[in-house]
Amino acid sequence: MKLLPQLVAFLALTTTSGLAAATLTQQIDPAEAHVGDQVIVTISVQNGSIDNLQMPQVDGLQIAGTRSATNITFSNGSLSRATAFTFALVPARPGDFTIPAFDIHTHEGDVLHVKAMTLHVLGDVPASTNSAPAPSAPSPAASSAPSTNLPFNPNGPVVMPPTNAAPATATPANGNSAAITTSTAVAAPRDTDGTPAKVFIIITPETTDAYVGQSIPLRIDFYIRMDVNADQNSLPTIKGSDFLMNSFTTRGHARVGLLENEEYGCETWITAISAPKSGDFPLSMVRDTYWIKSITANNNFDPFGGFFSRHANLAHEPITSNQLTMHVHALPTEGQPANFTGAIGQLKVTGEAHPASVAVGEPVALDFTVSGEGNFDYVRCPTLPDSPAWKTYVPSSRTNYRDESHTHAIKTFEQAVIPQKNGIVPLPPASFSYFDPTSKQYVTVPIPLPEITVTGSPPPLASASTGGGTDSTAASATPQPTAELLPNRLELGSLQMSLQPVYRQPWYWAVQGGLIALPLLGALFLLLRSRSAPDHDRAERASRQRSVEQEREAMTEAVHRGDVSAFFLAARHAIQLQLGSQWNLKPEALTLGEIRRRDACLAGTLEPLFTQADEVIYSGRTGPDLDLAQWERHARELLQLQTVGS
Amino acid sequence: MFSLILFPFILHADSEIDAANRAYTYGSYDESARLFQQIIATRGYSAPLCFDLANAEARAGHTGAAILNYERARYLAPADRDIDHNLQLARKQAGLEPNSYRWWQIALRSIDWTVWLGIMAACLLLIFLAVIGTAYAPALAAASGMPLPLLKTIFKAILFAGIPLCLLMGYVELSTIGFNDRIEGVVVAPKEATLRLSPFDSADSIGTIPEGELATVEDRHNDYLRIEARDHHFGWVRRTDLEPVIAGSFDVQPR
Repeated sequence: MKLLPQLVAFLALTTTSGLAAATLTQQIDPAEAHVGDQVIVTISVQNGSIDNLQMPQVDGLQIAGTRSATNITFSNGSLSRATAFTFALVPARPGDFTIPAFDIHTHEGDVLHVKAMTLHVLGDVPASTNSAPAPSAPSPAASSAPSTNLPFNPNGPVVMPPTNAAPATATPANGNSAAITTSTAVAAPRDTDGTPAKVFIIITPETTDAYVGQSIPLRIDFYIRMDVNADQNSLPTIKGSDFLMNSFTTRGHARVGLLENEEYGCETWITAISAPKSGDFPLSMVRDTYWIKSITANNNFDPFGGFFSRHANLAHEPITSNQLTMHVHALPTEGQPANFTGAIGQLKVTGEAHPASVAVGEPVALDFTVSGEGNFDYVRCPTLPDSPAWKTYVPSSRTNYRDESHTHAIKTFEQAVIPQKNGIVPLPPASFSYFDPTSKQYVTVPIPLPEITVTGSPPPLASASTGGGTDSTAASATPQPTAELLPNRLELGSLQMSLQPVYRQPWYWAVQGGLIALPLLGALFLLLRSRSAPDHDRAERASRQRSVEQEREAMTEAVHRGDVSAFFLAARHAIQLQLGSQWNLKPEALTLGEIRRRDACLAGTLEPLFTQADEVIYSGRTGPDLDLAQWERHARELLQLQTVGS
Repeated sequence: MFSLILFPFILHADSEIDAANRAYTYGSYDESARLFQQIIATRGYSAPLCFDLANAEARAGHTGAAILNYERARYLAPADRDIDHNLQLARKQAGLEPNSYRWWQIALRSIDWTVWLGIMAACLLLIFLAVIGTAYAPALAAASGMPLPLLKTIFKAILFAGIPLCLLMGYVELSTIGFNDRIEGVVVAPKEATLRLSPFDSADSIGTIPEGELATVEDRHNDYLRIEARDHHFGWVRRTDLEPVIAGSFDVQPR
């Protein structure tokens, strides 16, 4: 268990550099600061190994702290490694400073060029200015200010939470303290024994100063030291009921990194919270966490026990994050627009209508788009004032979220309006209102819409329903255009108990199967017959051949005996047998006439024999010139000829 | 005799329809709709009954239920112009785009599936006879006096033409009975149905679909249905917000 992550890390360290060329990114934040402010310079090297990095000395810029962190990520089947060096600089005097360009040499032999960075430093910090705390070194003084807006970068490096409250109080009974130190350049909180905590959670909201209903992006980082890492089966939840949190839309982003030379697994979620009521509320999160307490071998006598039979003993406890105090303000009632629906943020609204020309009664589609950052669940379709010239319908909407926290989105509305009169009819003036938390005031955006050319004549007024029904929906509640509905049918029609399609009925498939089986049965019959047919034919051929042979012997015997009648009888029958076999006919049916009908040429050849045979058999005349031996040769030649021909 | 036995039932059904139509005529549309629903529940569906129910729902201002029953009526009688007229009118009043069938859809759906089945059955029978005839071709040729090669050519022609024709008829038949159709439903939630990112009440809303809109059901999870509305607009809606055009089809696992 313990070896596996180390093995992965080792493989990552030893293989990633060879997978891709080393690249470098650099950043100075902010580019303009006051004297005494911290300026963070971050230099990140991807896919390159560097032990140490020295920042060039610049007169007037003091290096207050340095730290490095290595992230190894396994994504899309490939490993990548990134080492980030962070330098906290403090300008000692106002002026323009330039950090000169310099080169970085990686162990792999790559040379990376760091470009020069400029910094504009103003005079002393004015008392009212909120200095943005550095990601790795939040200032307690600054964060305790009531309107602290922390820099928020969901994809940025691990940042410490704002410490506007006392250090996190979660101190689990097992001593896995999450007491977060506020010292600079330290990311991991400490256990009671002073070592980095095994497990801790850091939450980082975008701001701690918000309004009721405002969506506040929140980053949740769950850290667990790799030597105690175990599978988790729960997600972080908010403690208490003072805040609502969006569901996690994706799985936590997992990575492995080094914090203070300890290897940690980190899982990060980006979500958003909102407060349903105003006041100051504590914000913290908790996660039921499993971690490896100890590892024991099941069988000490097993030679492989140390490798295969190791058993991890898990500890289970809720881990609480750092605690913040959120200042939630009520929305001002003064100046609240009538069409304000609770949308809070920085939003842009556009609208368009199409087509530009329609006939009376035909719909015009209005497309509104609201985009930007805010609580999009509260963003409703821009309102159209009532107008006798237009009939409006319920809009449909669609939201495309642009980030994981669901605070950046594009929400589109489609609304149909139908002109009730002709001419050049201006669309009702649409408007959209929201509350801007930055300027702390309501904003109403007028949405310009074009004039529509409406042709045709207005529809006639529908006649009121007849009768005095007591139905509440009758008369006034009935939409007027339903008067155009075609009247009811009075017949019952062809009834069926179910609308289920026929293919859901078993009998349907039985009928289909029966029909398909028909040709299959035919094919099966053909197959079986073709298998049995050869034997049948062979037997029949053999039988006929035997008969022909018998007739030949009878011919020879008759010649020996001088029996003319027997000879011609045998000769003619032998020829009939042979021809019958060829033509699939009974031998007796093959008279000379039948043979002539089928093959005139053959009939000519056989005619002397058949004629002589008839004469001898039926008249009994046996002339002295009859040479039986010659007739026998002739008959055998004819049989031979037929055999060759067949 | 059979008519005499059925007479009381026919009379009873007619009186029920009369009552429903009377309520409709006097403007009691909710009552009329209730009576038509009752008739359908006891006697079954028919195009005229669904049409009348849809009219009552439309007059009562229940756009979703009206469009649902017009869709059902159209399913039973695809070529009926009156049904399509009222359906398109209801959709227009709900601000929805028209969805009339195209001519070939009407042609395909208007011919009863048994016609295609009959043609297919005839083809299969011919194939069967051709196969058997092949086995007895010499005897048949001898008996009929037809030359054997010609007879064999005829049998082969039947096989080569009959098999593709059979497959085509089978495909048309399946299309006619809606085997390839996807499961559709109509939004019956008042005003609009909320489309969610995932099938849970707490899931983020990703949009709304107006009442009366037709949607295709892709999947289901507990009390939620994953649907595709117009423009490949996917999301989850509550099961109760959508009614199937073909009653009971939501209980079948979507293909």
